[in-house]
Amino acid sequence: MFDYDARPVTPGVVLVGTPASRGGYAIRDFLSRNGYPFEWVDAGQPDAVRAVLGAAEVEPSALPLCILPDGSRLTSATVEQVAAGLGMVAAPSLPEYDLTIIGAGPAGLAAAVNAASEGLRTVVVEAVAPGGQAGTTSMIENYLGFPNGISGSELATRATVQARRFGAELLLARPLIGVSAGGPGYVAELSDGTLVRGRAVLFASGVEWRRLDVPGIDDLLGAGVYYGAGPSEALACTGSRVVVAGGGNSAGQAVVRFSRYARRVTLLVRGRGLGASMSQYLIDQVSAIPDVEVRVRTQVAGLEAGDRLRAVIVRSGDGAGPARLPADALFICIGGTPRTGGAAGIGLAASTAGYLVTGGDAATDPGGSWPLPREPLPLETSVPGVFAAGDVRCGSVKRCAAAIGEGSMAVALVHRRLAEAGGD
Amino acid sequence: MTEPPAVASPGTAVSSEFTGLASAERIAAAAAALQRNGIRPLLAATGADARGLVGSLLADGAEVYNNTSQTLEAIGVADDIERSGRYQPLRLRLYRMDREMQRREMRILAASPDYVVGSVHALTEGGSLLIASASGSQLGPLVSGAGQVILVIGAQETVPDVAAGVRRIYEYCLPLEDARAWRACRVPSG
Repeated sequence: MFDYDARPVTPGVVLVGTPASRGGYAIRDFLSRNGYPFEWVDAGQPDAVRAVLGAAEVEPSALPLCILPDGSRLTSATVEQVAAGLGMVAAPSLPEYDLTIIGAGPAGLAAAVNAASEGLRTVVVEAVAPGGQAGTTSMIENYLGFPNGISGSELATRATVQARRFGAELLLARPLIGVSAGGPGYVAELSDGTLVRGRAVLFASGVEWRRLDVPGIDDLLGAGVYYGAGPSEALACTGSRVVVAGGGNSAGQAVVRFSRYARRVTLLVRGRGLGASMSQYLIDQVSAIPDVEVRVRTQVAGLEAGDRLRAVIVRSGDGAGPARLPADALFICIGGTPRTGGAAGIGLAASTAGYLVTGGDAATDPGGSWPLPREPLPLETSVPGVFAAGDVRCGSVKRCAAAIGEGSMAVALVHRRLAEAGGD
Repeated sequence: MTEPPAVASPGTAVSSEFTGLASAERIAAAAAALQRNGIRPLLAATGADARGLVGSLLADGAEVYNNTSQTLEAIGVADDIERSGRYQPLRLRLYRMDREMQRREMRILAASPDYVVGSVHALTEGGSLLIASASGSQLGPLVSGAGQVILVIGAQETVPDVAAGVRRIYEYCLPLEDARAWRACRVPSG
């Protein structure tokens, strides 16, 4: 069997922790999504621990313990410490940019490529990793130009390289705290206090997974319960029983991915079927996998756990009582809520669901106070010079290609705004 | 070649015959022969010089695949490729891919990098390059898939002729690579 020995030959990150650790999962997810090679060592395996630490045991309070490529050790490591230790936290190189993009998902990266390629001084601010929600997608098969599909991570990698090649800067691993008016444009403040000045701002911050309201779920995050498709966990699901909750494309793609590893995958769908929310090609794929069971009109009602998940309690719409579904992992892909935390301070008008209102709707929105004699441009929010594209925008189509289209289109509108404001 | 010559089998002790450095005359003869074969030879006096030469040949931002090579690791070239941030190191990109879902992407990426940087197991005075690969995955990019091929060849890898080169592979390289592959992947190399 042909195979690649593609392991890096230089030292990577070693992470020691317990499988049921939320903090350990957060670091695994962060490293995985940022493409950093790492070795995961289960702290409960003495031989494995001895091989990396020289001793068979590690103090529980030191976990998760991270060994960086230079040999330095971080005890009780956090994502922020690991990011800093790996040199991922860079300061902005310019005192001011033409365009600050909030979010490095498909919309943000498309905007970055187009803005930078047209000579705009462009910076992208991203809380976790390039790719956004699409970056965790196992295979996008309906994206134009890729007849055999392209994985979300590969699309994000290529787009990131492309954006950087044109000169766009990416500031990673720091969430946005807020945006405020400052000088001729706006100032974005990041969680570490970094200030980024931009003459225009594009919110391409996407959505975060909608939370499932089930008792005790927060205690199990990273310990068998995960939001999203959890790409870092696929290998760990080998031979296990996986439950995926959700009826959209993200859920379908998670099923396809985990079916390659797991003994059995059960998809829980609240609606009467998949047709209303999932692309037909994914419905066909899910239906054709032998070890996948689709349960419609079924929801998660509870969780059973010891130190990690043991079973999912489900309730179906047929009136029957709750049923116990043994499970080693539950992946929750039940849609998203807009990620607009940093937008509040600047007073952007939003829909009742929290999505940013743009275009003509922004001028008439009761929550906004549009100050200019002209109408807002099509992707412009209720604040001149602040734009929104992709999933975070009210009325957007929640598809990768649509987000890329909006991100690209936004750059032309930013040019118009900068010309209006002077200096373009 | 489908059958090994009558030499030591994998797992035998490493021969000390092939650890010595080739003479300046042999290296000069090999370099001249490479030039005649259309391969540009660049001579480096030290490992540090070789590392600098490789860096001067690689374009910033290029997709670079570094083959597994003790020579590249020892002189720091592997570190430059994987960790300097100057290039797109394909080993790292491939490593993080999902082997179940992304096998096709992996195959395409690994087969056609902008640059492949590797070494050889033997270079003869006549300019023949001898490279062995357990899976064969290294061979495609080296002979045609990569845009540019950069080979870092140590003076100890230069031998008189093809027969000596084949013996070097079986008696020196294979036992070492077998042990490395077992440590790294729990598989034999032969």
